[in-house]
Amino acid sequence: MSLLRVDSVDKSYGDEPVLHDVSFEMDRQQVEVVVGPSGSGKSTLLRCVNRLTEIDSGEIYLDDEEIHSVDENELRRRVGMVFQDFNLFAHLTARGNITLGLREVLGLSKAEAEAKADDYLDRVGLADQSESYPAELSGGQQQRVGIARALAMDPELILFDEPTSALDPELIGEVLRVMEDLAEGGMTMLCVTHEMGFARSAADTITFLDDGKIVERGPPEQLFENPEHERTGTFLGELTGLHQ
Amino acid sequence: MSADTVDSAVGTIRGRKKVVAGVVGGALWLWLLARWAAHNTLLDSVFTTIGLPDLIRSEVRVGVREPWIPAAPFEAIADAIGGVAAAVGPAGFFFEWLAWPFELAAFATSTGPALAEGAFITVYLTVFSMAFGLVIAVPLAVTRVYGGPVSSRLSLAYTELIRGTPLLAQLFFFYFGLPLAGIIGSVGIMELSGMPRTAAVVAIIAFTINSSAYQAEYIRAALQSVDEGQLTAARSVGLSKLEGIRHVVLPQGLRFAIPGWTNEFVYLIKYSSLAAFITVPDMFRRARDIGSDTFQYTEIYVVVGLCYLGLVITTAMAMNRLEDRLSVPGIGQSAGRE
Repeated sequence: MSLLRVDSVDKSYGDEPVLHDVSFEMDRQQVEVVVGPSGSGKSTLLRCVNRLTEIDSGEIYLDDEEIHSVDENELRRRVGMVFQDFNLFAHLTARGNITLGLREVLGLSKAEAEAKADDYLDRVGLADQSESYPAELSGGQQQRVGIARALAMDPELILFDEPTSALDPELIGEVLRVMEDLAEGGMTMLCVTHEMGFARSAADTITFLDDGKIVERGPPEQLFENPEHERTGTFLGELTGLHQ
Repeated sequence: MSADTVDSAVGTIRGRKKVVAGVVGGALWLWLLARWAAHNTLLDSVFTTIGLPDLIRSEVRVGVREPWIPAAPFEAIADAIGGVAAAVGPAGFFFEWLAWPFELAAFATSTGPALAEGAFITVYLTVFSMAFGLVIAVPLAVTRVYGGPVSSRLSLAYTELIRGTPLLAQLFFFYFGLPLAGIIGSVGIMELSGMPRTAAVVAIIAFTINSSAYQAEYIRAALQSVDEGQLTAARSVGLSKLEGIRHVVLPQGLRFAIPGWTNEFVYLIKYSSLAAFITVPDMFRRARDIGSDTFQYTEIYVVVGLCYLGLVITTAMAMNRLEDRLSVPGIGQSAGRE
């Protein structure tokens, strides 16, 4: 049984079509990487899954429940999200960023929430930064707090929206390592990223999205070595050249 | 001096000047608080009940309060300088100027007690109106920024109506137009000692409504300067829109709003003087009455002007301190601008 099933989803912003007839399925513990040129609808697809954006038609099932029949706050508790710009709560410490959701959404006590937050900060290698404010952390550290914040809510699925695109090159590695650890640990991840090294090593499936349509989808070896469509090969080749 | 300037709490006032401003401001407030304690009928009855009737004497209904600082030394200096002025003939005008500050000081000490009583009313008019205004302004601003098309327009309409009409007109509308004074007057508790008079209550209502519109504008601008990704992130964790606003947007937005809020505070201290026109015996009205009793209009308006200046500067200093206290790295810190 698949954890996430996206079924013929259409979405347009006004007259501008963004997603057209997008369908795919993901199993538990699977890592899916979505690639595609700028404006191809990758981020919109992620935002449709946790209903930050509403789809026009089609269905999305999480664990066999249509997501529009689930309370949106409950859905978002079950589907974590990591942002390109980190979006850490600027007025809260690293620990406070994690405990806010734990206390307000999961209803944990202050002590429980803080213990859990510290545990997750330790997992992303930031045990010593729990009292730091976002402005005092490097981009890589901020993004690791962002991952810990999503992770601490015990989500069934985490969405990564270009998590390393806003980072200086030397900081990308520390974030990718955390993501690789998560993938090995069996977290179900849907990632929009241009990090082809990560896609090759951690992804179970790569989806190539262009112009709001899925052009090609398959295991990394197939898309990198033997793509069905020329466009896929060209695009992945360009990305690989750029980033390695 | 460098150690003093690093953590300066008072905006652009630095080092020694800050200390001077702090001492003068502190002395003003110490004197005001002592005066209020001595004049307060409520405190007086409290001390009488616990058996210490003479510890603080409020001299209930004594029209003229005794000044604590004698005027005589200032008068003596002024007279001495005046004597020199008479002796040197035509060049004496210079000495007459020199004598004037001392005459003013003598006048200030004798009018001080009445002004202090008025200042008490000025301060509570301002503080209550700011506090109640904030309670109205926060939902107004949130509705304006995050509300639906109808509610945000209603909020806008309220703000524009209140900002677009003169405060004095609003005050007269509430006092002379609406039967507010009668309604408030008929409430039993107004007769108790220590309660403000009905005109003061009407003034607080009018100032609250007026101030809420201005405060809402400052807060709206501050809320809009909070990055929208903050609310998106809050919602992605599973917080509802309202919870996200409450726990993420407002704590940041209200910090951004403090400078604007200080501005409104300072305005209201001075605009509260309009209450004098509906018979509230605030600081300005005391000054006006003293002026028409003594005909020393220049002196009394200089003195009362300095009193307002003292209130305004100490308030601004306190608000700067508050802003520094509430700042966190990345929000509201001035380190980069020093």
